[in-house]
Amino acid sequence: MTNENVDVAVIGSGPAGLAAAVSAKENGANYVVIIDRNSWKGGILPQCIHDGFGLEETGNSMTGPEYIQMYIDDAKKHNIDFLTETMVINIDKNKTITAVNKNGIYKINAESIILSMGCREKTRWNIMVPGDRPSGIYTAGVAQAFINLYNIIPGKNIVILGSGDVGLIMARRLKLEGLNVLGVLEILPHASGLPRNVVQCLDDYEIPLYLNHTVTHIDGRERLESVTIAQIDNKKNIVKGSEKKIKCDTLLLSFGLIPENELSKDAGIKIDNITGGPVVDQTYETNIPGIYACGNCLQVYDTVDVLSKSAKLVGKNAVVKLIKNKKSIFVKPGKNIRYVIPQIINKKGLINFTMRVNKPAQNVTLKIKADEKEIYKKKQRWVNPANMIELTLEITHEILKKGKTLVVNLHE
Amino acid sequence: MNEKEITCIVCPIGCKILVKTDGKEFELVDGNKCKSGIDYARSEALDPRRMLASSVLVKNGLWPLVSVKTNKPVPKDKIFKVMKEIKKAEIDAPVKLGQIIIKNVLNTGIDIIATKNIEKL
Amino acid sequence: MKNFHVAIIGGGVIGSAIAWELSKYKLDVVVFEKGLDVCSGTSKANSGVIHSGINSTPGTLKARFCVEGNKMFTDLAEKLGFSLKWTGKYVIAKNPLESQEIDRLIKVGKKNNVLGLEIHTGAVVKKRESNLSCFEALWVPTAGVILPYEFTIVLAENAVKNNVNFLLETKVTNIKKYEKGFKIETNKGVFSSNILINSGGLSCREIVSMVEKPDFKVYPCRGEYLVLDKNYSNLINSMIYPVPPAKLGVLGVHITPTIEGNILIGPSAEFIDDPDDKKTTLHMMKTLLKEAKEIIPSIPENAIISAYSGIRCKLLSPQQSGIADYRIEESKRTPGLINLLGIESPGLTSAPAIAKEVTKLISKFYNLEFKKDFKIIKKQPRFSNLKENQQFNLIKKDEKYGRIICRCEQITEAEVIKALSNLLHARSISSVQYRCRAGMGRCQGGFCTQHLLRIMQEKFGMKIDEIKMKSPDSYLFTGYNRELKK
Repeated sequence: MTNENVDVAVIGSGPAGLAAAVSAKENGANYVVIIDRNSWKGGILPQCIHDGFGLEETGNSMTGPEYIQMYIDDAKKHNIDFLTETMVINIDKNKTITAVNKNGIYKINAESIILSMGCREKTRWNIMVPGDRPSGIYTAGVAQAFINLYNIIPGKNIVILGSGDVGLIMARRLKLEGLNVLGVLEILPHASGLPRNVVQCLDDYEIPLYLNHTVTHIDGRERLESVTIAQIDNKKNIVKGSEKKIKCDTLLLSFGLIPENELSKDAGIKIDNITGGPVVDQTYETNIPGIYACGNCLQVYDTVDVLSKSAKLVGKNAVVKLIKNKKSIFVKPGKNIRYVIPQIINKKGLINFTMRVNKPAQNVTLKIKADEKEIYKKKQRWVNPANMIELTLEITHEILKKGKTLVVNLHE
Repeated sequence: MNEKEITCIVCPIGCKILVKTDGKEFELVDGNKCKSGIDYARSEALDPRRMLASSVLVKNGLWPLVSVKTNKPVPKDKIFKVMKEIKKAEIDAPVKLGQIIIKNVLNTGIDIIATKNIEKL
Repeated sequence: MKNFHVAIIGGGVIGSAIAWELSKYKLDVVVFEKGLDVCSGTSKANSGVIHSGINSTPGTLKARFCVEGNKMFTDLAEKLGFSLKWTGKYVIAKNPLESQEIDRLIKVGKKNNVLGLEIHTGAVVKKRESNLSCFEALWVPTAGVILPYEFTIVLAENAVKNNVNFLLETKVTNIKKYEKGFKIETNKGVFSSNILINSGGLSCREIVSMVEKPDFKVYPCRGEYLVLDKNYSNLINSMIYPVPPAKLGVLGVHITPTIEGNILIGPSAEFIDDPDDKKTTLHMMKTLLKEAKEIIPSIPENAIISAYSGIRCKLLSPQQSGIADYRIEESKRTPGLINLLGIESPGLTSAPAIAKEVTKLISKFYNLEFKKDFKIIKKQPRFSNLKENQQFNLIKKDEKYGRIICRCEQITEAEVIKALSNLLHARSISSVQYRCRAGMGRCQGGFCTQHLLRIMQEKFGMKIDEIKMKSPDSYLFTGYNRELKK
């Protein structure tokens, strides 16, 4: 059994963990350790070989491996310790981490813990796709790892269900390899992924995008043989007569991502039912003092740039601890707002908010009310669930002292 | 000239930029939020190009593949030809990020470069 | 051509239990299983319930073997090391009308010698099951749960350890009766035996028809299940059953806490034509969730991590009530052919008792003599269930215990290697899942599949296109993307 005391322990070496760790060091932490279950550093990014990363942050469009190497080099420069091939199996309320690797069992007592476990993909059963249970059904990210890291082709005739970014990117990737991508199906009337990915992954290669469509049945007792697709009306019912069978040997699922918070839940951290991530205050601290959350285990970000930016704040907050008020106010999503982070404010000052809308809209006004008083108003030409909204707002001592809630609304 | 809507791919916003073009001439109508958008729309209307990312087989490496990209955007109509070259290539480990894997691929003036370090097995 | 004393067709729980029972004696035994592994059919896809015997008509074989089998499980689990939990079960009455049905079950249970039955008022039930509201309920303490595939695999591997031959991917295509026994033709060659045991499950009629004209029919009846995430394991403590529906000879959609902490909802009951049609349907998935919510309203809609179905082997059609007794008998027309027909619920519970009965039938042919060197391999507890110091010691012995490769179920590389080194040489992805549970959690293999592939290739020399999910044609990949030039 190995016992260690550290200033900051970071769980997960993806972009959030690396950015937070580097920032913790820069802000004065002596001993920072990053624990990762994989043999490599960088989480999912080494398999995201397409470009488009880091544009906002650095002005250059990089591929995933290039972007993450920048942070890995930074971490090395700052003498950050790594425990790779190491699985954290428990975090307790006293901030002791139990982790296992081939050398034995570690007990790491941390002044601060930063949760950056990332997210996992929704599976077939999260949206209940009925039918047989053959091989040949993969989540898009797993298929991405097969083709980009392990040199393995999952199959030859491919249908993609769900138009999340990973699904769109995989459509192009497979097409470039000469495989037959038969189409991408999306149950919603709009694509879930970013507009630029619809253009450069589907339109460029004439891969059809079927909006308002889903798979209603999976056929194949051993290997996938075909899927039945159908049009869905606005009440989510199958449009009669629209069903047709498509022969294929592979179905990729791109339904979106779920923050990975099994460790957080076991530790007693409160989870927001909508984001799937911890409830945090403006410093990204959870309900357990000294435990912070960042990256995709807090909320699923649309770009790594914004994710890294906020992870850096978390790294700083985990070291430079400010005294907070005893009284908190709660931030609530209102009209056409799905969620807002932070959910709690307990210190005056400039606060970064991130949020998502429920459905696309144009020419709308984003308004924030502190109880009944409007404290923020901004026109938005368009909003889209795939695009996170960021804003910075001064929360005064007055608001904090008198108020109970902040409500964010989007008015048509 | 015909009016055409181009979805900008420079950043995640994806502005819908309205332009007039006949393939040789270009005129911006509306819709961009930044200057990069104009450049993109012009190039998309007159000479569409894309960055290309893929992977190349590695010999004796810790991983079987190294991720690669073109150092400049490739004319859209050449993408599959360049892919053919990428598929044929092999490289010995170790590979360094930024290392040129194929120089001046198909005489386009474009290099295929590694985007990852791959250690020797 | 090697001649066996006994040939068993079918490596489900019945065939495997018989094989293990016979492996105690000096006999040459072979088992033919058409799947990539044992437990490939109905035996793996059920509720995993060890029934008490309150549901079987007194005097039937079902009642007899269920009650006898039930009593054997504590001892078997101790000996063989498979998981068993006596959760007990509630059969709930939502209103006084349904209470009449509970009175009937008590009478049946008492006739079958089921011990410990009690009626609890709604208030008492509420204390033990806070999420459950009912008028009153029958408490059945002698009901429990196991992992049906774990049990079957443990039996089969123990049989192999004691020299029973298990031939996987071996489908019986024809059987010829001759004076001294049977010639059994398979895709892997021809074998002969003196005694032939037909434990083919849903294929039992097909097997009989290779030898004689069957005097029965099989009516496949599909049951669909939903599996809930472990996060919701605290919803219930014991199994919760409705009073049995009046028709179909099934027990109704119930809620079962599994050994692993998941909750099962199901099964449905639907007579189908094709015994291999193990699909799940949207209609039934919704119905199951709806019916389960009628029992436990707080079941969340987004908690489902998997769904599956299994097929019951029924000997009567729904028009004929669907309730038939087991047939466990030597054929009158073909001496030496022992048929096990219509083994449906409570078949899992009955399996060890049925195996004893079949051994008794075989003792008519042979003077059975115990092996002196009979061995038992006891399944070791999982790494994640050990105490920290035990875990530490294991890692010191083999560092691969320190490499957890399945995040959701916390399974180590050493356990995966052990699973792949099984005595049956079963090496599909589901063979690994059923032996050590890697890949059966909420991410459904998203993280660990890459590790399974690495181990299968590096440690077991398997080629990427030889890796199968669960059955001979369920290949996972079509090959490598880039190939080295020669």
